[in-house]
This record gives sequence, C-alpha cells and structure tokens, in this order.
Amino acid sequence: MDEGSIRRRKESQTGSTAHSLDCQTKDKQPVKATVLQKDIGLLSGICLIVGTMIGSGIFISPKAVLLYSGAVGPCLLIWAACGVLATLGALCYAELGTMITKSGGEYSYLTEAFGPLLAYLYSWTSIMVLKPSSFAIITLSFAEYAATPFYPGCTPPLVVTKCLSAAAIIVIVAVNCLSVKLASYLQNFLTVAKLFIILVIVVAGMVMLARGNTENLSNTFDGTSPSIGAIGLAFYNGLWAYDGWNQLNFITEELKNPSRNMPLAILIGIPLVSVSYVLVNVAYFTVMTTTEVLLSPAVAMTFGDRVLYPLSWIVPLFVVFSTFGSANGSCFTGSRLAYVAGREGHMIKILSYISLKRYTPSPALIFNGILTIFYIIPADINTLINYFSFAQWVFYGLTALALIVLRFTRKELHRPVKVPIVIPGLIVLVSCYLVLAPIIDKPELEYLYCTIFIFSGLLLYYPFVHRKVNWARKLMRPITMHLQLLMEVVPPEKTE
Amino acid sequence: MELGECTRNPGYQDVDGGGSAADTVNHEEPEERRDTTALKLDADAEYTQMKPYAGMPKELVLLHSSKARYRVPREIMFWLMVACTLVMVALTVTVIALSPQCLKWWQVSPVYQVYLRSFRDSDGDGVGDLKGIQEQLDHFQYLNIKSVWVSPFYHSPMRDSGYDVEDFRAIHPLFGTMQDFEELLAQMHNKGLKLIMDFIPNHTSDRHRWFNLSRTGDPHYKDYYVWTDCNGSAPRPNNWVSVFGKSAWTYDEVRGQCYLHQFLKEQPDLNFRNPHVRKEMTDIIRFWLEKGVDGFRMGAVKHLMEAAHLRDEPQVDPNKAPESVASEWDLHHDYTTSQLGLHDLLREWRAEMDVFSREPGRYRFMVSESYDYHEVDKTMMYYGTPLVKESDFPFNFHLLDLPQNTSGSWVKHLVQLWMANMPRGQWANWLVGNHDKPRIASSAGQTYIRVINMLLLTLPGTPTTYYGEEIGMENINVTDSQTQDPAGKYNASASRDPQRSPMQWSGDMNAGFNNKTNITWLPVHPNYTSINVEAQREDEGSVLAQYRFLSALRQSELALQRGWFCYVHADASVFSYLRELDGLNRAFLMVLNFGKESAVTDLSSVRELPDQLKVLKSTNQVNDGKALQKSGIPTEAGESLVIQYSTSTRFNPNHPEQCYVSEKACYLSAMDILYKC
Repeated sequence: MDEGSIRRRKESQTGSTAHSLDCQTKDKQPVKATVLQKDIGLLSGICLIVGTMIGSGIFISPKAVLLYSGAVGPCLLIWAACGVLATLGALCYAELGTMITKSGGEYSYLTEAFGPLLAYLYSWTSIMVLKPSSFAIITLSFAEYAATPFYPGCTPPLVVTKCLSAAAIIVIVAVNCLSVKLASYLQNFLTVAKLFIILVIVVAGMVMLARGNTENLSNTFDGTSPSIGAIGLAFYNGLWAYDGWNQLNFITEELKNPSRNMPLAILIGIPLVSVSYVLVNVAYFTVMTTTEVLLSPAVAMTFGDRVLYPLSWIVPLFVVFSTFGSANGSCFTGSRLAYVAGREGHMIKILSYISLKRYTPSPALIFNGILTIFYIIPADINTLINYFSFAQWVFYGLTALALIVLRFTRKELHRPVKVPIVIPGLIVLVSCYLVLAPIIDKPELEYLYCTIFIFSGLLLYYPFVHRKVNWARKLMRPITMHLQLLMEVVPPEKTE
Repeated sequence: MELGECTRNPGYQDVDGGGSAADTVNHEEPEERRDTTALKLDADAEYTQMKPYAGMPKELVLLHSSKARYRVPREIMFWLMVACTLVMVALTVTVIALSPQCLKWWQVSPVYQVYLRSFRDSDGDGVGDLKGIQEQLDHFQYLNIKSVWVSPFYHSPMRDSGYDVEDFRAIHPLFGTMQDFEELLAQMHNKGLKLIMDFIPNHTSDRHRWFNLSRTGDPHYKDYYVWTDCNGSAPRPNNWVSVFGKSAWTYDEVRGQCYLHQFLKEQPDLNFRNPHVRKEMTDIIRFWLEKGVDGFRMGAVKHLMEAAHLRDEPQVDPNKAPESVASEWDLHHDYTTSQLGLHDLLREWRAEMDVFSREPGRYRFMVSESYDYHEVDKTMMYYGTPLVKESDFPFNFHLLDLPQNTSGSWVKHLVQLWMANMPRGQWANWLVGNHDKPRIASSAGQTYIRVINMLLLTLPGTPTTYYGEEIGMENINVTDSQTQDPAGKYNASASRDPQRSPMQWSGDMNAGFNNKTNITWLPVHPNYTSINVEAQREDEGSVLAQYRFLSALRQSELALQRGWFCYVHADASVFSYLRELDGLNRAFLMVLNFGKESAVTDLSSVRELPDQLKVLKSTNQVNDGKALQKSGIPTEAGESLVIQYSTSTRFNPNHPEQCYVSEKACYLSAMDILYKC
C-alpha cells in the first residue's frame, strides 16, 4: 500500500469528520488538523523578536562598539545606525516572509530563488552547527550568570555551568515540546522581564542625568578620528547585538495573519530594541567613563552597584531571566528550520513530523536539543563558533540577493510588503563586508575548515537527497516507524 | 534518552487525576469513535488491519502507540529525563552550596614590587617612569604575575624619593602625566594585571598646600599637623626622635612653633585627631579608587598617630645622657607608634575600599607596612578581627632576617614566627627584600638566591618579589658623590641606594633600562652583561626560568595554592616541608638546603611519604627528574628540590600540630571541584 492512497483516504476522512462536527453539539471542540497551529499573535511575535535579540550582550559586554568607535558620541551613533540597518534587513525579510509564507526563514527563500542545493547547504550548516551552537552558547552563558554571584572573584566550576545549562536545555525543549502556546507565554513573560530591567537601567540613568552626571556625555566627539576600518569593526560588533531580526521568518506558518503581523512585529520590535540599546548605553555613561565601561567584566552589574546599591542584586537576576528568554526564543525558532528541511526531504523525514496530541514539532525540537547538549560538552566552543559566524552573514547576504532575484524571476507573486530595491542591495553590500572584514583582519586557517565543513554537506546530499539511494530509505523506514510510535508523531496533514 | 519526554503527554494531562497514560489513551479512543460517522468507523476498521509503516497517519499511530512495547519505553524515557533534570539541578545546587570561597586575585599571584625610578626609563632622563612600566608589562605576564605594586609617583619635591608628597592627586612630571597613569592602568587591566599603589598617609611634604596654610595659621588648616610650643633655639619639646635620626621636632619660624616629623623634617606628620584630615585622606583614597586602582600599600602605618600628651619616651639604655639620644634605636617608641585609634583609621579606609569592592571582579586590596620587629602580635593586629576587616595582610618582614644565620632551623624559626602568630583563617605572605632593605642576593649570598626564591614561591600565602629578585640582582656600590638617598647622605651605611639600582633588562646600553641616552639616576650593576632578563630568558637553567616555572606551578597546583603546609624536617642545613590538599593525591615535598654544606636528609620516619621520590624541579638543573630514596635525599648547599609525589594518605590528620592551612578546602576528583570540609 502506497502513501498516496492512505493520504486520499485520510483526506476524505478529515472531510467527513468536519462534516460530522457540524452535526454535533456545539460544546464539542473541533478536532484540529495535525499541523502546527497558528498560535503566534502580534504580541508574541514582537516578544519573540525582542526576546531573542536582547540576550546578555548589552548587559555584560557592550564594549566592542565603544572600543572601535573610540568615544561616546560615535559609539551611540553606531548603536543607532546598527538598529537602522537591522530594521532595513528585517524589512527585506518581511517582504520575503509575506511573499513566501513558509516557515524556515532563509531556507524557503533560498529554495525559491536559487534552487534546492543552496538551501540544502544553508539548512545543513544551520541545523548542524549554527542553530544548536548558538542555543548552546546562550544556555552556557545563562548558567554562568546564574552561578557567578555565588563565586565572587573567580569562575564557577565547569560541572556547575555544564549541569545547569544541560538542565536549562532540557527544560526549554520540554516546554517547547509540550505546547507552542506555553513556550510563547514563557517567551512573553521573559521578554517583559528583560524590558523591565532595561527600563530600570534607563530610568536610573535618566535620574543620574537629571542630577547632573553628564561629564561623560559632554564633548562626546572629542579625541576621535576613527579610521574607516575601525568604524567597520564597530559596525560588525554592533550588528551582532541585533542578530535575530529574522526570528519570525522561521515560524511564518504559525503566525496569525502573517501579512499584517510580520511586518508590524518587525517594525515595532527592532526599533524598540535599538532605542533600548542606545538609552542603556547613555545610562551606562552617566556613571562610568569609557575606560571603565571597557574594563568592566559585567557593565550592567557595575552600573547596578553604583546606582541601585541596596537593590543591585536585581540586575544579575534579570540578566539571568533575559538569557533564559533568549535561549527559549532560539530553541523555538531554531527547531522550525529542521522541521521545514525535513519536510522538503533535505533532512530525515521524521524531523518534519509533529506530535499528534501536542501539535509541536517535537522530533525537530528534540534533535536540536540533543545536538545542543553535545555542543555544551567541549570545554570552549566559543572560539569554534566564532569562526562559523561568517557563514551566518553569507546566508544573510544571499537572502537579500534572493529578494532581488525574485523581483525578476517571480514577478507574479503577491507582495503585501514591498521594499525599495536599494535596501536589499545595501544589505548585500554590508554582508559582503561583514563576511570579508574579519577574514581579512585576521586570516586564519579555521575559516577554510568551516568552508570545507559547509561544502561537506554535499557528500550527504548527492547520495541521499539527489540520488535517493535505496538502501538508505530501507534502513530509515523501520527506524522512522518505531520512532513514530514511540513519540506519537505523524506527518503534518495538508490543510489547503 | 529525550525521545519520550515530549510525546508522552497523557501523563501531563492526567497529573491531577493520577491516571496512567494507558488509561488516557483508552479513554480517548472510544470518545473519538463516538464522534465519527459510520464512514470513519469503516476507516478505523481498515486501519486495524494495517501494519504500521513509516510515515503512517495519526489513526494508525494511535492504534499501535499504546502497546506496551512503545508505551513502557516512552514512560521510562520520560521519567528518566525528569529525574536527570532534577539530578542536574540538585547537583548544581549542592556544588554551589559546598563550594569554598574562591581565592582572590591577590592570593593567587605573587605581588611584584616595582621601584618606579629604577624599573624602566622610557624618555631617556635616566629615571624610570610610568610609560616604562607599560612597555614592560609582558615581563609580568611572562612570569605569570598578576599583582604589581608601584612605588609612589605622586607629585613631590623628592626629598625622600617620592615618600614626601606635595599633592596626593597629581603625578610627578618625572614619572609622567595623569594620562600616562590612566593609560597604564587601562593597559594593565586589559592584560588582567592589578595595580597596587603606594599610599603614604602619615605625612606630607613641607611644600604641601596644607602645610603652608597650617604654618601661616589658617583657621581651617592650623590643626592639620602636630604643632606644639617650643623654644626656637633648642627645639625639643620632648625626646622623640625621627626614624632618620635626630629630633623629631623642627621649629618653624613662620608660625613660631615646632612641628612633628617622624621622618625627614621635610615630612611633617599629619594630625589624624583632626576630623578634617581624616576626611581629606579618605577623599584621596576615594579619588584613586574611582580611577580604578586595585589596591593600596599603606606605608608606615604604625607612625600614623602619636600620644597627645607628648611625654618623653623611655630610653632603651636609661643611663645614656638624654641629650645624646638621637637614633631610632635609643628609645622604646611607646608614644609615637601603634597608638590607640590607628586601627580605627585603617578600618575606616578599609570600609571605603569595600564600597568599591562590591563591583564584580573589582576587589580592592589593602596591605599595610609596619616594622614591629619581635612584637609580632602588634603586626598581626593589622589583619583585623573576624568581625572587622582591616588589611588583607600586613607585610611579613621576618624573612628579611634570613641572612643573619643561614640554616634550615633558622628559616623554619622565621617561618614559624609568622605561621604560629597569624590569626586563624588569615592569609600569610612572604618577602625577602624591598626598597628599604639590602638585596637578599647580596646579604645572604649568591649561593642562596635560588633556594630563597623557591622558598617564597612554595610557602603558603602570597610572596612579594622586589624587582630584580627574579633574576638574582645584587646590590651596587654607590660612591658618596653618587648617593641619592637622603638617609644615605646622613649616614652612608644607612643608604638605601645599593638596592635601588636600575633593572637589568638586557646586555645592551644601561642594561636596557634606558636605551635613549647614556644616563641612569644610579649606576647599573656591572654584572648586567650576564645577569639580565634577556639572557636568562634564553637559558633554561636560569634564576628567571626557575622563578617562572615555580610561579606557574603555584598557579596551577591546588596543593601549592591553598593546600596544607606541614613541617617535615629542619636541621642545621635543611628545611623541609610539604604541601598537600585533602582529597588530592598529588602533593609536594620541599627540601631546601640553607646550610653551608651539602647534606643528606633522611625522611624515612615520615610514613606518609612514598619510598621512591622523584625530583620535579631542582635549583640545580641536572637533578631535575632524578629518582631518590626518601631515606637519603642529597642536597648541595643552596640547593633545593620540589618533589612531586603521589599518595593516598595525608600527612596533616596525624600531625595537626605541625600543619597550617588558610582558606581550607578539600578536593573531589570525580567532579574536579573544591568543597568545604
């Protein structure tokens, strides 16, 4: 019996179920189709963007921008400019996301514009390295911030940070597996917490300003003659703080009314983040000199100690919340990529299955979780991952390029949002710069290894995706079947 | 492992009902059937006949997934996952709760004393400067040193090489500018180094603004210093003498009174009974703390206060004519040193520093300088009490007496002097030289340079290294015309110039101290061609290489950092002790020969040591890695051995009276953590 006949039968059955429901009493819940539900409203969308973008960076080390820009004035300008750039980038994503209403972010757009091979390489790199490793880094820093207050003056033992981050990963994956709604409520709560601490810092900073602590903020352009290269590096580092603007594109299919909510969430979320970043920086400068900001091991904590003294403990506490929220957002959207890639046959099929009782893509979530746990085991993954960061910008650039390409190849598609074509052009240029800058700055062999890794995905692509070798499918079939029964997951139903 | 957790949901639905997954599934199925039409029933009937296959739809999954072979593993995995999470959280909490306090930065690394004038000259004026330190920061990193104490660089007329301060908030142009200082500090922090400043609260220069206002009788400032009526022709209100000799009183013609100076007459003593003075000094401390300084060495603290009654101090030799009393050593300083109120002052400053220590990673360190000689308990007062903190440690000057009698038991006596008197739980420290005392390499002899460095770096507590000791620099000979030190001008034998010669960086011009011009403020030691940093960096067997090795070892080995310290043996030549940590099998036995002859030490009575021992590091490079019997450990005069051994029995439980530990902790190898015990 082939899959097709089953599907037909199932479809007819779904139809009949729907029909029967009409005849049933009204208090009966309709049987939901086993697909990912449209649970994410505007507020949750904004929280997902804001909550993932604002991690711990702005609290711990907003230094790199200041270091390369040299003075307070240019530093604030660059923070704001990065925000503008991020908004522009996100608008491109809004056009793509409303035009191609598929989850999976870049993956879907690259498929549409350049064909499956490039999209495959993107999903291969992201699913195997970028997504789980960034999830791992965020949980590791969550664990570190949670443990640091108990270890004044030294770093917490490895066993503490690793255990705590593993526990955090499991809890987050579990929450996401249980319910999309629960995960997004958690995200909303943690985002509110993080905006609260930002508000506290900003208000405290305003009070300091009102009390006349303006010495670090006057003559803010003195002593600056930053070179083009330094400004570039400042931008490079600033933009990392805005990374995550594309979160919503990974979950387009789960958005309510995406053509309205996606552009709206982007237009509210990213400027909100930019304003927060700039104001928080201003607040820091009311009580700290540039040198102090550069040298502080945790800037927000230093600020808290100076300004909020008896209550200074709230800063580290909320930074912990903030990191946990970031981790949750990262897990939420990261797993959707594996889900879509599995659906398209670029990853094993089971990743695209969803829990038939919970309507969550649990295989993809769990897969992402397992990889993440592997990533927290090695002693220092930060350095490894830094080398992969250039890949991230390669794909951002390609996505912006995809937008331009689609303007010509797919003119007929309905575009609820249409950005001027200069914007994607600008993003492509910026991406080129951001890919090349660190490599030219410090050419290292590791970049080559990363590139080799990315292309090594082709070794799997050719036999398993392109040729669809028989023995592999024979091998996978019983595994998929048993996993399906074990996890109670099914392929998503077609709902058109 | 994780597969079950998310998908085995019924357990969640039924948590309150306490029902099992099987119940839920069975409960749901009939309900669903009722909802469906006959057609659906047909379909279901069809599903029951089908076998599960990959990509099967919902109905088929539901039909089979409740079978025990899927349900039970799912349940097991789910609960395993829950248990796993709980265990990890519990483990984290337990580890955190059991963790001992971690060592602070000043406990982890040796302190390096930079005598600024002689460290490195960047501008070619023959005098070292702040930029010079900045150029040589690599040297500290090379030696794995994190804490650097820099001698005073305040604006000063330089009557006492900077210890006479004219402006506590400015930097002497000879050493650089405030900007140089800020850059140096930023650079040091960037490299993870900490800067400890000299603070000289006892006195100011006579050119200080306060003193000028005080001598002219400005109402606010008139009590800033210690003034008393006296006879202008024979100004001796009492018999107090200055540390540098002669009366401690000088008549000031402007004011027509005498002022007190426990040091030079250009260094009038501040009156700390005046609340304004106390406030001024606290403000100055805050000024530097705000700049980001990591710590202060509080200079000459025992002199801070004097008895208000100004009575004569008792003479050491009552028969000596009172008029001939002119030296520090002629009097018992009952009324000029360690007076009531002194510790309150230090505690006030400590509290000020604690405010700044709250910031993460910014503990501010205080060390006090007080020569109390045999009155050890007076020194120990500076540790404060368990309730009120004071200095992190007072400098331990006892090892300065080491050259008096080089023998193992003498060294043990000096070490014991500190260890036995130090309050429980405090942190020891060791030094063998500073800018006031002759270099140990000259006073003890070159033979002992290496053994002394090894002693310092393996004793429990923080060692302080005076610049040049890491390469074995020696005193220079200074002719009268070259003398710079005011104390030396007064009495050539008391000159402190010999130990202040320029640092020997390389075999180049001026030993690399000043490579711009051919001047140095004091002559460079002629041995600089062979004894210098550059040459010793190349040589694996050099004093510098040994220092570097031991400094790294001290940092990486928990037993050396915070382990037990136990005396094992001391005789006319050899002093031997061991360092061990409960729970850690790797321990260190130190055998140091301070004697004049070679010796063979028999440690067979120490049961806890293994019979076979292997030398990890000897001061004599050829002996590195040598295997020895514990019944006969040979050492040459001036040779010392670090012996690393492995044992499962500790020495300290059976010999509590021979052992000391500060910051006690035990090691758990299974998890690589320390815990309270």
